[in-house]
This record gives sequence, C-alpha cells and structure tokens, in this order.
Amino acid sequence: MDQTKHWRLSFLLFAVLFLFCPMVGNALEQVKLHLFYSQSCPHCANEKELLKELEKRYSNLSIEMYEVTQNPEYSNLMDQVKKTLGTENSYVPYTVIGDTGLTGYNDNIARQIEHFIERYSKEKSVDIVEKVKKEGYISDYKEQEDSNQEEENQNNTLPITVPFFGEIDAKAISLPLLATVMGAIDGFNPCAMWVLLFLISMLIGMKDRKKMWILGVTFLLTSAIIYLLFMISWLKVAISITSITWVQRGIAAIALIAGVWNLYSFSRSKDDGCMVVGEEKRKKTLSKIKRITSERSFLLALVGVITLAISVNIVELACSAGLPLVFTQVLAINELSTLEYAMNIFIYIFFFLIDDLLVFVIAMMTMKVSGISNRYAKYSHLIGGIIMVLIGILLFVKPEWLMFQFS
Amino acid sequence: MRIVQISAIWCSSCLVMQKIWNHARDVFQEIEWCLLDLDFDSEKVSKYQVGDKIPVLIFEKNGEEISRLIGEKKEEEVLEWIKQNIGG
Repeated sequence: MDQTKHWRLSFLLFAVLFLFCPMVGNALEQVKLHLFYSQSCPHCANEKELLKELEKRYSNLSIEMYEVTQNPEYSNLMDQVKKTLGTENSYVPYTVIGDTGLTGYNDNIARQIEHFIERYSKEKSVDIVEKVKKEGYISDYKEQEDSNQEEENQNNTLPITVPFFGEIDAKAISLPLLATVMGAIDGFNPCAMWVLLFLISMLIGMKDRKKMWILGVTFLLTSAIIYLLFMISWLKVAISITSITWVQRGIAAIALIAGVWNLYSFSRSKDDGCMVVGEEKRKKTLSKIKRITSERSFLLALVGVITLAISVNIVELACSAGLPLVFTQVLAINELSTLEYAMNIFIYIFFFLIDDLLVFVIAMMTMKVSGISNRYAKYSHLIGGIIMVLIGILLFVKPEWLMFQFS
Repeated sequence: MRIVQISAIWCSSCLVMQKIWNHARDVFQEIEWCLLDLDFDSEKVSKYQVGDKIPVLIFEKNGEEISRLIGEKKEEEVLEWIKQNIGG
C-alpha cells in the first residue's frame, strides 16, 4: 500500500470515529437514582445488591441513598416526594428515578428499575427528588404531568400503513386485535356449541318466533354476562397484584400448560367430528332444554334458559383452557383507562360469541339449524396453542413486551 | 348392503355432513340407509359402541359390519369409501 493511500485510509477511519464520538458521548443522559431505605428491611438489602451491579453496568448512573429510620430529614424528604408523586403510603424501599417512584422490591420492580434507567438514559427527565429538595412539596405536579403525558401520548402514535386501510395507529390496534383473535379462538372451542344447537332445534319446534328470539337471545346474553363477570373480576384482582411476581408466574405457567395442551389436542385430532359428552350429563342437559321449551309459563322458561346458560358457561370457562384468564392478565399489564379495558373486554366477548350469534340468527331466519364445521375448532387449537405458548414465555421472560405501548 | 348413519341434532359436524350424505344416497340408491340419532335411538345405537366422536357411518354386508367412517369427511372421501366397500 503506498503512503498516500495509507494516509487517506487513516483519515477516513479517524473521520468516521470523530463523527461517531460525539454521538456516543452525547447519547447517554446522566441518570440519578434515589433510594429511600431502612437498615432493618431485608428487601432494601436485596435492592442495594442489585444497585451495586447496576452501577457497574451503567457508567452514566449515579446513586444516592437515604436511610429514613435514623434520619428524620430523609424520612420527611421521602414523604414530600411521595406526596408530590401521588403515592400515599410510607413503605420502603422507595426508589425514585427521574420522576418515577417505585415502592417495594421484587423481580418485577427490579426489571422496572432497569427499564427506567435505560429509558432516562435516552431521554431527559425531571429529577423530582432534587426538585423537592429545593422547592419542597409540589402540590400540582401530578396534574401537570398527567396533562403533559396525555399530550405526549397523542403525539406518540405509531402509524403503520395497511393496504386498503391507509395509515393506522399500531398502539390503538394491537390490543383490540389480540382481543379479536383470542376471543374468536375461544369461541370456536366447541365445548358448549352442542347445547346451543340442541336449544335452537327445540326452539324451532316451538313455532312461536317471538318466544324463540327472546329465549335464544337470553341464552347468548347470559353467556356474555358470565364471561364479562369473570373477566372483570380477574382484571380487578390482576391489576392489584400485577407486581406480585409469583402470581404473574402462575398465570405464565397456566398459559404455557394450556398452550401445550391445545397443541397436543391439535396434533391428536385425526377425525374432525363432534365430541360425545358423557351420556348421563348429556341426557340431563337435553331433558332440561326440553323442559324449557315445553314450559307453559314463559317466565319459568326464561329462568330455565338463564340457569342453563350459567351452568353451561361455567363449564365453558373451564373448557376454554385459560384463554380469557390470560387475556385479562395481558390487559392488566397494559395499565389502560377504564374505557379501554371495557372496550377490549367487549371485543373479546363479541368475537367469542360471534359463531354462536351467526348460528342462532341464521337458524331464526331460515327456521333450519346449520352447523359450523369442526375443522375450524381444530385450527383454533393450533392458533390458540401458539398464542398461549408465546404469551406464557413472554410473561416469564419479557412481560414488558406484552405492554403494547410503543412510546 | 346397508349403511347405518349415527348422528345427533346437536352435532355441528353432522349438520355440515348432511348435504354430502344426501348426495351419496342419491348416487348409491341400491344401498339401504338406516338413520339413527344418538339420543333418540339410544337403544339401537348402544349395540354399535360409538366412541367419543360422531358422526359415524357403518357399512354392513349381510348384517355384519365391514367398515366404519368416523367424523367430518370430504364428499369424495365418503363416495370413495362406499365404492370400496361395495366392491370389497
């Protein structure tokens, strides 16, 4: 290589390095983590161990610690910071990164600490502890932040272009899409379809269209309400315990087991057909339905249809192999508004019932019962199995990936 | 020759298969079809020892079962199964 060429190459290398150096240097923001702890608290000791490791790993991280039981001024500072951030308890350890406060310590909090360190390494944030040290308790900080966050969320949409639909916001469609797919898969699970088909056959025999519609719709509506009650109850539980690691791991295990079971069901179903429910149970349900449709008192028939739907859907919930449970858990992780929770649950239940609705409406219009091929049920086992296994794995190793928040 | 068809009014696969069976009956008019409902003809059905899946088609020759077809099948599969059993 001649001298000029050598120099040219070296210059190019330096130029590239020079171009990248300021970027690397400026890429990471300084992050300050404040830990309020007590000497006697074992969780605080565990967190301190983690912080030691993190300090080594993140060169831009500095840590300040405040022992609150021996130092009233630190205890007072923690109270003011908590009050500013809208937290009402006085538990330790209390970790503050930027303007995010995290109470307690477990695997989930450890992951969140790392998440916020990485996040604030990339973007500037308000160091709320330093701010409170200077200004004291800031009464309207939470309101100001909420309105800023709302504005930011509005600007933070992630548009993707879909043929025929144009630009749509990925954040807005991810959960409803999951609700649609999981609801539909749950719906194709044929556990309770046979009851509906028998009910419709008997209703058609009644020859009274008005009564048929009312009894059929009551059956479907009761099914929806049972699902709704179950999902709301679990959502309430899941929201309050989402930070408890063993609960999340339990749900992850359920998702994995159910997913594997679904895949196993898919692999062994060589004859697509209707599963024959045990004779005694079947005869009991059939005679119950016959009693309902031959009942002279319409009110009693209505009560009968409601109790039938309740008992069938409790079995259906067990038969759905954890799909609604896992979906509700994913909703809880996403920390949505009440309206968004309601919307996603509604979508799930609507698609869960869509095959039943189709069969019912077609039967009522044509006065003839038509069935949906059980082949769809077979493939719903396959797709459901894959989704459940994926969610199960993510709940174990990367729960934050299930947070469809792209900001 | 006789085909025993075991189905149920609550079974969606049986409803889906109905059109195919009707066509098969038209094609093979020489075969006698015996329609049994799992719940309403339970006594007659019991001697066939139906497993955990329906619908079931049972091909009988001289009163003896020679083959059975279980579950939802395509039309050509049903026609082929009957053809084979007639010849066999």
